[in-house]
Amino acid sequence: MSQQERRPETDGRDFSDAMWSVPSYLLAGMAVYGGLGWLLDRWLDMSAFFPIGIVLGVSLAGYAVYRRHGR
Amino acid sequence: MSALTVLAPPGEFGAPTPDELFTLPPIIPGVEWFTKPVLLALFSSVLVIGICWAAFASPKLVPRGMQNVVELGYMFVRDQVARPFLGKDADRWMGLLVSIFFLVLVWNLLGVVPVLQFPVASHIAFPIVLAATIYILKIYLGIKHQGGIGYFKNMMFPPGLPKPIYFLLAPIEFLSNMIIAPFTHAVRLFANMFAGHMLLAFFSMVGFWFLFEKLTPLGAPIGVIGVVMTILLTGLEMFIMYLQAFLFAMLAAMYIGSSLHADH
Amino acid sequence: MSVLAEVSGNVTAIGYGLAAIGPGIGVGIIFGQGVQAIARQPEAYGLIRQNMLLGFVLTEALALIGLVAPFIFQGIA
Repeated sequence: MSQQERRPETDGRDFSDAMWSVPSYLLAGMAVYGGLGWLLDRWLDMSAFFPIGIVLGVSLAGYAVYRRHGR
Repeated sequence: MSALTVLAPPGEFGAPTPDELFTLPPIIPGVEWFTKPVLLALFSSVLVIGICWAAFASPKLVPRGMQNVVELGYMFVRDQVARPFLGKDADRWMGLLVSIFFLVLVWNLLGVVPVLQFPVASHIAFPIVLAATIYILKIYLGIKHQGGIGYFKNMMFPPGLPKPIYFLLAPIEFLSNMIIAPFTHAVRLFANMFAGHMLLAFFSMVGFWFLFEKLTPLGAPIGVIGVVMTILLTGLEMFIMYLQAFLFAMLAAMYIGSSLHADH
Repeated sequence: MSVLAEVSGNVTAIGYGLAAIGPGIGVGIIFGQGVQAIARQPEAYGLIRQNMLLGFVLTEALALIGLVAPFIFQGIA
């Protein structure tokens, strides 16, 4: 056995839990930071912050999923 | 079939639009809410209750007939849905999960029953009600089992991260668990049924139009392709209907399970 | 030259359809290879799972960026 002990009775649950929550995490990240960027764009009359916010939100959401389920 | 040809514009082929397929007139004129999906939803509830009643009204130790079939479905839900996600609490939630699975399965399968031919879940109101029920149950169980503050703390602040990261990640966690997850729960079922019904309607209309309405030497092969695709896609669609019912029940079990036990 | 074919409706739908091809193939490869790896080496389950999740997140991110790309260009143009 490796350093990570297998627990067969909860393996399936943990794994599907992680996989099924990935899309909602990514959408939530894009909504939060893309929304902030969109508001900044409207406020400053620019068009750069919305794409930046989307990419930032996706990366942060991916990090959140990875930290929560990936270890 | 005949309903589709009436809707098509005269003279040329037009693909069926969502408005033609999903906006249905009331069955009794004047009663606006009583449309075909409502009738089918009521019918499927009665059907599910009836089937389970016939199977388990007087259960035998050695099952025969109807009890055999329904027990097969029950075992499937217990072994594939409840036990992996709920563990030792599985038996307490079997009633809810079996009802959800069978109800959604009958809703979906009505889409390929010849005369009825309408998947109830392709009107988003029906999946939303089911998903909202699970959502309320999830929050109630979470607050009951982990405490009002503890539930939100476990959800938004998973342990083991540096402080500044929490500030960035907490809104994502909150939005994803509280708003996006139930939304996708409902939309996943709705979108599959909606798209599947449109696909079947399109191909059966291609077959009907090119073989019966406007039979020409050049158009006939297209019509044959349409009929063959309709048959193949009906098979695929039945598989997807079963799969979506399974996924809906599985995600419900997953949400209930994640509220019962704080993860990690 | 006369018009041979015409596309009516919203072009962004086609854009998203094209953008979904790549992630679709990618997710298929990730899970296929991941399941194969677990079948070959069940004792490395934890490591495989971790990398499967990471790959899935990155691929899914591309698909969802494709979903919002029309809104981005709507704002710019």
